[in-house]
Amino acid sequence: MTETENNLKPRIGVFSLTGCAGDQLMILNLEDTLIELLSKFDIKSFQEASSYSENTNLDIAFVEGSVSTEHDLKTLKNIREKSSLLIAIGDCAVNGCVQAMRNKQTSIAERMIDVYGVEDNIYKTFEPKGVGEYVKVDFEIPGCPIEKEEALNALISLLNGDAPLIPDYPVCVECKLNGYPCVIIEEGKPCLGPIITAGCDARCPGLGLDCVGCRGPIKGETNAKAELEALRKRGYADKYIINRLRFFAGNFDDIQILGVKENSKGDK
Amino acid sequence: MTVKNSLTPLEAQITRIEEMTSIEKLFYLKLIDLNTVKEFHYTPGQFLEVSIPGVGEAPISICDVQREHGRLQLCIRKVGRVTNAIHRLKKGDRLWIRGPYGNGFPMNLMENHDLLLIAGGLGIAPLRSVLQYALLHRNSYGSITVMYGVKCYSMMLFREEFLKLFREGDKLNVKFLLAYEDSDDFQCYQLSCERSDRCMSGLVTKLIESTAITPDNTYAVVCGPPIMYKFVVKELTQRGFTPAQIYMTMERRMKCGVGKCGHCITGSSNSIKYVCKDGPVFTYWDALKTRGLM
Amino acid sequence: MYKKLFKEDLEQFTSTLKQFGSIYGPVKKTSRGCEFTELTDFKDLQLNYTRTMIPPKKFFLKPKEPLYSLNKDAGFKEIIDDSKTVLLGVHSCDINALNLLDRVYLNQFPDLHYKTRRENTIIIGVSCEPDDYCFCTSTGSSHALKGFDLFLHEISDSYIVRVGSMKGFQIITQNKHIIKNPSLTDIKEFKEYEAERLSKITLNLNVNGIQDILDLSFDHAVWQENADICFGCGSCNLVCPTCRCYDVIDYLKLDLKNGLKVRRWDSCMLKQHALVAGGLNFRPTRVERLYNRFNCKMSCSEDSLNCVGCGRCTVYCPADINFVEVLKQVRED
Ligand SMILES: Cc1cc2nc3c(=O)[nH]c(=O)nc-3n(C[C@H](O)[C@H](O)[C@H](O)COP(=O)(O)OP(=O)(O)OC[C@H]3O[C@@H](n4cnc5c(N)ncnc54)[C@H](O)[C@@H]3O)c2cc1C
Ligand code: SF4
Ligand code: SF4
Ligand code: SF4
Ligand code: SF4
Ligand code: FES
Repeated sequence: MTETENNLKPRIGVFSLTGCAGDQLMILNLEDTLIELLSKFDIKSFQEASSYSENTNLDIAFVEGSVSTEHDLKTLKNIREKSSLLIAIGDCAVNGCVQAMRNKQTSIAERMIDVYGVEDNIYKTFEPKGVGEYVKVDFEIPGCPIEKEEALNALISLLNGDAPLIPDYPVCVECKLNGYPCVIIEEGKPCLGPIITAGCDARCPGLGLDCVGCRGPIKGETNAKAELEALRKRGYADKYIINRLRFFAGNFDDIQILGVKENSKGDK
Repeated sequence: MTVKNSLTPLEAQITRIEEMTSIEKLFYLKLIDLNTVKEFHYTPGQFLEVSIPGVGEAPISICDVQREHGRLQLCIRKVGRVTNAIHRLKKGDRLWIRGPYGNGFPMNLMENHDLLLIAGGLGIAPLRSVLQYALLHRNSYGSITVMYGVKCYSMMLFREEFLKLFREGDKLNVKFLLAYEDSDDFQCYQLSCERSDRCMSGLVTKLIESTAITPDNTYAVVCGPPIMYKFVVKELTQRGFTPAQIYMTMERRMKCGVGKCGHCITGSSNSIKYVCKDGPVFTYWDALKTRGLM
Repeated sequence: MYKKLFKEDLEQFTSTLKQFGSIYGPVKKTSRGCEFTELTDFKDLQLNYTRTMIPPKKFFLKPKEPLYSLNKDAGFKEIIDDSKTVLLGVHSCDINALNLLDRVYLNQFPDLHYKTRRENTIIIGVSCEPDDYCFCTSTGSSHALKGFDLFLHEISDSYIVRVGSMKGFQIITQNKHIIKNPSLTDIKEFKEYEAERLSKITLNLNVNGIQDILDLSFDHAVWQENADICFGCGSCNLVCPTCRCYDVIDYLKLDLKNGLKVRRWDSCMLKQHALVAGGLNFRPTRVERLYNRFNCKMSCSEDSLNCVGCGRCTVYCPADINFVEVLKQVRED
């Protein structure tokens, strides 16, 4: 490969903040296409963000994990400054994901006592949030973990110079396109599909399981109250529904509102 | 088996590109397949679905009058996926088109009438084809008045062409008026010094307010951003234009252009319109009958 | 032209249909009912069913289908499915819905994909088993007058077979040995069975003048009330036999040269249905989208209503929004 060809390739970096590095693994899992894929990029950094040192400018930075510490935030801001495009990959980076389950429900101090037995915030943690809360995010690829196909298509779009296409409609759409029986209608299961971002091809309902919401709610479209209402009608307790909603979506305002109300009923 | 599918995009080559503003380019296209060239007729106000394989399609108005078979011009603003991809193309590159679609302006009906063309921003693109058509058949139309609203001089489309009309249009019985939003724009200010009755700072409605126009024997043709219509129509009706004398061309999300995909649907159950096939040209009367059209 | 087929001969009759294409029919899938599925065993066929979740529209306008293979230099090449298909057991409402779709897909610019599927598919109708959600008598779609090759009207031990096309006639001719002529008693029975079927359709929606009422009621409180509990999930449209909206997406392969142009069903309840570049949305809220859906369904194309009263949108709405109930509230009667 000649020098110029190499220079034309998009320079990319993949970085982890606080998360399980599951999304990086997902990208590495694209085995068959991986080598071909990687050869089209000039990879400047593919590592835990903690060891990020290179000061090269990037065309695209992929960031996974939520912002949970001062250190995360500093790294993130640095990455943003050095990159033309910043793409949040995985729910943690998109909206805080599982880590945000208890946000605004219990204080950090309470959680420190629960987990470490001390009230002091020894790790300088704060409520985990998506990277979009702190810096401008150009695109978001949701999922916990992200979907291989979707990630691949997003990378192809980026290589071609186009914006990635990420669904902004709910899982129900994919359910219907596949002709899967609806588990709410047929079996009264507590499916979150109606408010969750599609892209998984309705994997769970396809197996007869209710959607747990692992791809996060659709931003700006989530009717959490309706979900509460629909599941209540099918006999589920508020507390159960709200915990279920919070599991992957603790940072969503309309879901937090439900949470606050429930807390005020005196539940722990 | 080769079946003829009228919805399959045809290959076209870019013969020339003009950068008009920082976000708009004018593309000159030539259809490649000679068999299709003969069947390719378009009228002012019709549009094409332009596609870049692997990226997608976008509806774009044809902005010139048909002179030579198989050649046409598109003025495209880059705003998203497809239009960005089109802007990356170079002279000699290919893109694919299907159409022309839509009803277009009733050029026959408007014959022997005066024309008042009112455009805001990119809305001038379809109206340019009306203007060119009327100029090509100059004796069939009465006086022509063009009112064009721009943000500033640098955002003015077809600048040379229109400046020439601005200065010399009277020879062709064409009055070309310009309104500019950015009151600090020096070049526009200079134009307004040249002809204060033909160029003024403000919105396009200002031109209607300050020009003597009568609805007698006149058709108004309007195109611009959705918000513009309400104000322009108000001005025109106040001056006695009937709803059937006002033609407008509408934008909607469009995926097919031929009344199938449903995205351009508008109206309520007593009058549903598909903007792609029932329009994109409508009268203000249509808008009054169809909830949400305007 | 009417003929008669004994129920005991149905299996033999069905087996002769194989020469016309792969046979699809209603097969039990869930507690609620059947879906159109390829028939591998005659015993799976459930001609007495109420409604499928996904309408037979799926055979003509497929839920997801590649339209073209594409290449950056060579352009687009159609991918056409011209396989032969026989649909056995289609209800009147769904046949009427296909007739409506024909007006959209076979108009001035015929859709080659749809057209090819339509031309290669034989439709055999069957009388239905209405439930409390059916209101096809209100929408004028309880009977199919055209749009089928054969229609099996059930009576006690046989079917009165209406022949609707030359292809249907050909099928009948090939089955001469089991096809009879209906007797006077059969005809009497037919009338009784029809009366019985119609008597089960008890839900009634007064659609007379509904268009005026809907236009005048654009700010009626019922829209907001229902928008508040609506997910905007699109299920109502995706199960509707007359919804025709689709979206198209280009996919590129890793070589950045080849790819596919794919279409999939779309829904006007989804936020991007009316979104244009620059972020302007012509129906930004769920209220506007809900209003649009009801208006689209209650509008007429030529002389037929765009809703065939099949009840699917109500049955499969996870928020239990009841189509007929909403319209009754708007109508305030
Ligand atoms: C009749 C008609 C004539 C027109 N004439 C011209 C013209 O002459 N010149 C010109 O420059 N423009 C014209 N337009 C506007 C032009 O069609 C749009 O600017 C163009 O479709 C934008 O496409 P895009 O892919 O670049 O933008 P994108 O914003 O990427 O949009 C791609 C498609 O998806 C839709 N979309 C937008 N945002 C989203 C999202 N977040 N998610 C999913 N989909 C989305 C858009 O509505 C569009 O259909 C015309 C439009 C119409 C209807
Ligand atoms: S199973 Fe869940 S995701 Fe699927 S349609 Fe029903 S509610 Fe929606
Ligand atoms: S199915 Fe029900 S909840 Fe979903 S969009 Fe339709 S009306 Fe709303
Ligand atoms: S609107 Fe509802 S009842 Fe009417 S045809 Fe569609 S799904 Fe059936
Ligand atoms: S606009 Fe809505 S209701 Fe009408 S056909 Fe499309 S999806 Fe169905
Ligand atoms: S653009 Fe598809 S119906 Fe109008």
